[in-house]
Amino acid sequence: MTDLTFLALATVTIASAILALEARDLVYGAAALGITFLGMAGLFFLLDASYVGVFQIAVYIGAVVVLILFTVMLVGPQLGEPPLELKRLSLLTALLVSLLLGTAGSLTSAASFPGPDSCGAGCDLVRLSTTLINQYGVPLEFLSLVLAAAVIGALTLAKADRNN
Amino acid sequence: MEPLTSFFAVSVVLLGIGIYGLTTKRNALRILFSIELIYNAANLNIIAFARLRDPPIVTGQVLVLFTIALAAMEASVGLAIIMLVSRLNVDIDLRKLDRLKG
Amino acid sequence: MPDPVTQLIQLVTSTYFLEIVVFPGLISIAILGAFFTWFERKLTARVQLRIGPLYSSPVGGILQGFADIIKLLFKELIIPEGADRFFFIMSPVTALIIGAALLGLIPFAPGVQIANVDVGLPAFLAIVTLSPTLVLLAGWSANSKFPFIGGLRALFQQTAYEIPLWLSALGVVMITGTLNLTGIVQFQQNNGWLILPQALGAVLFIVTSTAEMERLPFDLPEAESEIMMGWQAEYPGPLFMLVQGPAFIKLYAFAALFSTLYLGGYLGPAIIPPIVWFFLKTIVIIVAVMLFRSTFPRVRLDQLLRQGWTTLLTLSIVNIVIAYLIVIGVPSI
Repeated sequence: MTDLTFLALATVTIASAILALEARDLVYGAAALGITFLGMAGLFFLLDASYVGVFQIAVYIGAVVVLILFTVMLVGPQLGEPPLELKRLSLLTALLVSLLLGTAGSLTSAASFPGPDSCGAGCDLVRLSTTLINQYGVPLEFLSLVLAAAVIGALTLAKADRNN
Repeated sequence: MEPLTSFFAVSVVLLGIGIYGLTTKRNALRILFSIELIYNAANLNIIAFARLRDPPIVTGQVLVLFTIALAAMEASVGLAIIMLVSRLNVDIDLRKLDRLKG
Repeated sequence: MPDPVTQLIQLVTSTYFLEIVVFPGLISIAILGAFFTWFERKLTARVQLRIGPLYSSPVGGILQGFADIIKLLFKELIIPEGADRFFFIMSPVTALIIGAALLGLIPFAPGVQIANVDVGLPAFLAIVTLSPTLVLLAGWSANSKFPFIGGLRALFQQTAYEIPLWLSALGVVMITGTLNLTGIVQFQQNNGWLILPQALGAVLFIVTSTAEMERLPFDLPEAESEIMMGWQAEYPGPLFMLVQGPAFIKLYAFAALFSTLYLGGYLGPAIIPPIVWFFLKTIVIIVAVMLFRSTFPRVRLDQLLRQGWTTLLTLSIVNIVIAYLIVIGVPSI
């Protein structure tokens, strides 16, 4: 049944990603983005990365989607996009996208790289936490400093507006 | 377990959708959506490669924990900037925001 | 009999399906939700020296919840003009789904747990962070001032209590060394209930989870006397029932999580079956949280934010230090 689960999750993720960009109303787009993140969390659970999946739900859907919704509601309704015109940038984009999809297609027809069925020590939660603290402890501290810098930056931006 | 190419294909399709949105849309919030989609495509790629190699390693999950946190921070600062710009300008059409140009 | 039909019958009568649908799944959640509505009104009434619901059945009005459901189903469905119909209806439905998903993670008895995930505790808390998003969407979609203010207040309230909630649960994880809810219960089977070493953490958890459930004294988003039921103001008859449901389901889920983390879940002397122990502990916590409602006045938003970021955060860090001292001090852990 793994194939059916993967197919359903992949379809939901890609369909809501397209919906997030093409929906007329930005609130629908933000909600569709939330469903994309939920599909991604499902794919992470399928890949035995359960803690990362929980982290994705808590951070992306719990915080980023809320921030986006808040901004969309405060910025107000915007004009719609103009109809798609054939300009140089769009052609370049279409070229790039078809290149990427072509790479993906050629890789699919080659050897399939079936992975090992059980993850063993590679996905162990204890192993993840000991690696994070022992080998990557210093980057973790730097990450907290970057978080503090981002919070101070966002607060400064909000304060600068009020002083004006 | 699904072969690696299936997960890679999903990641590449999401990347393509993200790049399409990034270059074609002119609403600043849609561009932020596209950036988040590109982040997610990269995260899926890293985790799929870490899990489906022989033997699987846990370093991919560590890296993705870092990138999820960084993406959330970048989205919050970007949204603060968008809200400020809309308060000064009313319109967040990126083609009209060119006061720093040349 | 043709093959798909046999497979379908096998699926429907399998234990897993019965667990999901009947107990501890969907039907039992619905019945207990209606029961808790009556229980809260009766308890609040007795504290306030009133009688409470009396007439809907010969036994003290115990069927009041079901009577309310039947009454609300027959009311007129008025959706405000200019409201966003999709989010207006889908937000409470999604909140119900989230509430049911929360109850799937909790061990009710040894072996009776719908989803035994290795990351059960953070999964529960992560799903819980989704609910203020839905309140914001519901408040925005009603296209009216009071609901939108209620939705924004729910968002501000989330920034106050979110971090102390996760940090107070972190103390439990530090002592037990596992994120699995069944593992936490089994740890308490060997080493005693966690409410003694983690008393401060338990108090913090109850306070922050009351704030998360938007119950008094933290019910700013749906303040009845200030902003006319806040984000629930524009919801007509049948949808109002849809909106009140998630509140009681979340109460049930949080009380169950508290009894799993701090009171030992289904553990207890063998004279009573484990499932009855579990429900006894859950009902004790639910009574305590319901008594908060009758006792404390409503907290103001700036008071809540200030206390959340100074008092609660400091106390949760003190709790983590206490847990650290217990981990390095007690040799058997």
